Amino acid sequence: MRLAAVDAAAAKANLISGQNLSDARALVPDLEVREIDRAYLEQVFADFADWHSNASPIVAVHTAAAPYGDLVLDITGVAHLFGDEQKMLEVLVNRLRALGFTVSGAIADTVGAAWALAHFSSGRIVPRGETEAALASLPIVGLRLEEAQVSGLNQMGLKTIGQLYGRDRRALQARFGETLILRLDQALGRIEERITPRLPIAEYYAERRFAEPIGYMDDVLMTARDLAIQLGLRLEAEGLGAQTFHLLLYRVDHKVMNLTINAGRATRDPNHIAQLFVHRSERLEGEYDAGFGIDMIRLAASSLAEVQSTQLGAFEVQDGAQDLDRLYDRMTSRLGPLALTRSKFVNTHIPERATKLEPVIAQTEDDPEALPDPELRRPLRLLPNPEPINVMAEVPHGPPMRIIWRRIAYRILKASGPERIEAEWWRSGKNLEVLERPERGSKRRDPRDDPKTDTQKPREPEHVSALAAFDPLTTVRDYYIIEDDGGRRFWIFRIGLYGAAEAPRWFLHGFFA
Amino acid sequence: MPGLARHDLDALRLKIAALEKRPLLAEGAAMLAERLGRAANDRGENADPLELLAAPNGLLHEVFADEQRQSGAALGFTFGLARQLLTSQRQAVLYLQLMGEGQELGLPYGAGLTQFGIDPARLVIGRIDSMTELLWAMEEAIACRAVAGVIADLASHPKALDFTVSRRLSLRAAAAGTSAFLVRYGRGREASAAKLRWRISPAMSGELPFDPRAPGIPRFQIEIEKGRLGDKTQRAEGKTMLVDWTENGFVSVEPKRRTGTAVHRTAPSSRPVAAPLGHRLSQAG
Repeated sequence: MRLAAVDAAAAKANLISGQNLSDARALVPDLEVREIDRAYLEQVFADFADWHSNASPIVAVHTAAAPYGDLVLDITGVAHLFGDEQKMLEVLVNRLRALGFTVSGAIADTVGAAWALAHFSSGRIVPRGETEAALASLPIVGLRLEEAQVSGLNQMGLKTIGQLYGRDRRALQARFGETLILRLDQALGRIEERITPRLPIAEYYAERRFAEPIGYMDDVLMTARDLAIQLGLRLEAEGLGAQTFHLLLYRVDHKVMNLTINAGRATRDPNHIAQLFVHRSERLEGEYDAGFGIDMIRLAASSLAEVQSTQLGAFEVQDGAQDLDRLYDRMTSRLGPLALTRSKFVNTHIPERATKLEPVIAQTEDDPEALPDPELRRPLRLLPNPEPINVMAEVPHGPPMRIIWRRIAYRILKASGPERIEAEWWRSGKNLEVLERPERGSKRRDPRDDPKTDTQKPREPEHVSALAAFDPLTTVRDYYIIEDDGGRRFWIFRIGLYGAAEAPRWFLHGFFA
Repeated sequence: MPGLARHDLDALRLKIAALEKRPLLAEGAAMLAERLGRAANDRGENADPLELLAAPNGLLHEVFADEQRQSGAALGFTFGLARQLLTSQRQAVLYLQLMGEGQELGLPYGAGLTQFGIDPARLVIGRIDSMTELLWAMEEAIACRAVAGVIADLASHPKALDFTVSRRLSLRAAAAGTSAFLVRYGRGREASAAKLRWRISPAMSGELPFDPRAPGIPRFQIEIEKGRLGDKTQRAEGKTMLVDWTENGFVSVEPKRRTGTAVHRTAPSSRPVAAPLGHRLSQAG
């Protein structure tokens, strides 16, 4: 075990981070040691990073080089908002210091150089083109290297970054690995290093800062409406609309809440956007917590698309499509994105997979191959899970005469069938087996588990089990349409064949009108 | 109110409806009354209850089936009513269900909808967590003038759905001209402001032309329990009829034909459908 970090008192006692714990204990017997809570640190850093998006749009957390992460801000074109770079650095560092953190920061052309400076020469600002000189006297650790590389370089007497400048690159690479050259080039700006921002970068946003923090949701929503008007004007000037809007609420205690809404089609109508946020806020329940207040609100638009201004009135066709889209947006923002769905055909013969439910606001193209065969009769309602039924007076290879479903007996007078549906042999390992359903009434099924709502990717429905091999005797369903003496029309099927090792089983799958 | 003739009362009701700025309701009722009257005059008898099946927009209907296992018939009948309301301006039907009741009642099935005559692209299926949210969604959808009908399919008897709520829905429906349907199950009836209440049971189907032993096209037994759209419809209360769902909509089944051959096919979809496999193969060459 090693020390990940030491505080000022420990540093005074000559402890350093990276030291062996037993060594440290030997030096300072009454040392107070806490285990590092990486999950917590990660969370805090993420919060900090989000909060710093009030200073710069591109903020990332680098965790590779330091035990508890580094905050990286791309301040291109931002510093003048604070006066100059010097002032910006002071503001950012001081506001964190005011919270009781030990902070060191630096500004340089590259991420690598800024990292080295922040860790070993805090507070410096290196102007453009002077990176090489500024790094020359810094220790080799400043290149974000692995421990083995550092000790190897030190053994060879290479203690500062400057000593590497004139060396033969090939020899260095052969001796210390590719990453050394990579880090060196990154620090000196010969290779570009990407920053992956945590929050989506929005080209179009509107924001408002408050002198006094606000807390009420109503105020937030009112501000959102104002911002939507501002943003709408900007979008209109560019002939754009957006499908996704993020409302970022910056709390004074350095947390950012992100409310996101999605519209069915690109829009810039402030009333509509504000309305969607109102509905979204009604779905928040306990999530909303203003803490000590919110001092900045930003409304950002993403998923931009061209929206031409259209003339209303005169010869416009009023087909209500726009009204419908708005209705779906409103309902979805309050009820959740999976609540409103539409049936979509899937190109398969297996009944429960032939139709899937797709959210109305995320429509995809119809698959013309998937349209169902009109000659095959299909029920008006389908049970998401087929229910087992008892069949009495069984006629081999024919429809049953009496069935018991949900403890009620039905006398079957009419029947047609069978329609044989077999497993899709080209998907190996799948069959038409029906799995046991969880006890009725014990727990409502999660809608996301419902195979029919599954729209993200074609996950196999849970009631289709995987078999090692294709077995024709257990992969056959014979469907019958039956009508009982009361005129109820059901869709039932039999799994398995008579004479097979396992007795065939019957299920009820749907209702005809 | 002795002495006050029935049609006076009707006229008064319409006047009040007009005063309350519910022109659609008043207009619809007047239209229906006229049509019923004409139908009655044509036959020289009472109004044909079948006319009610083409009810005007903007009404709250209640569709009752005695048991949940008749959910197919109840939904089929409701879809039949709602399909007539689809126009080029009103392009969508919303079907709302409580989350978790899908396994009780079954979910509307795409391929079956096409065969029943409902374009699955026009039917939005909403599955909603709670009754409060469902009622909110219903009101919101009713207020939208691009929706033809809103169907709430309720397996349970929620407390939230009382007379006040039904009156709210009814008024909203009248104001926006969107019809609302409450599909419910059981024999108990609660006070409600629905203008029309139907009791639906499935009926033994007629014979298919080439397969007498197979179940035929949908056939329902319909009882009008309540028809509060003027005295003519009120007179239809308690009447029962037997109808088939065909490609021409609801068709009354004459008593003598009840066991005869039904020649109609189920209504076709308004969308293109795939050709049968053999045809596709022949096209593929």
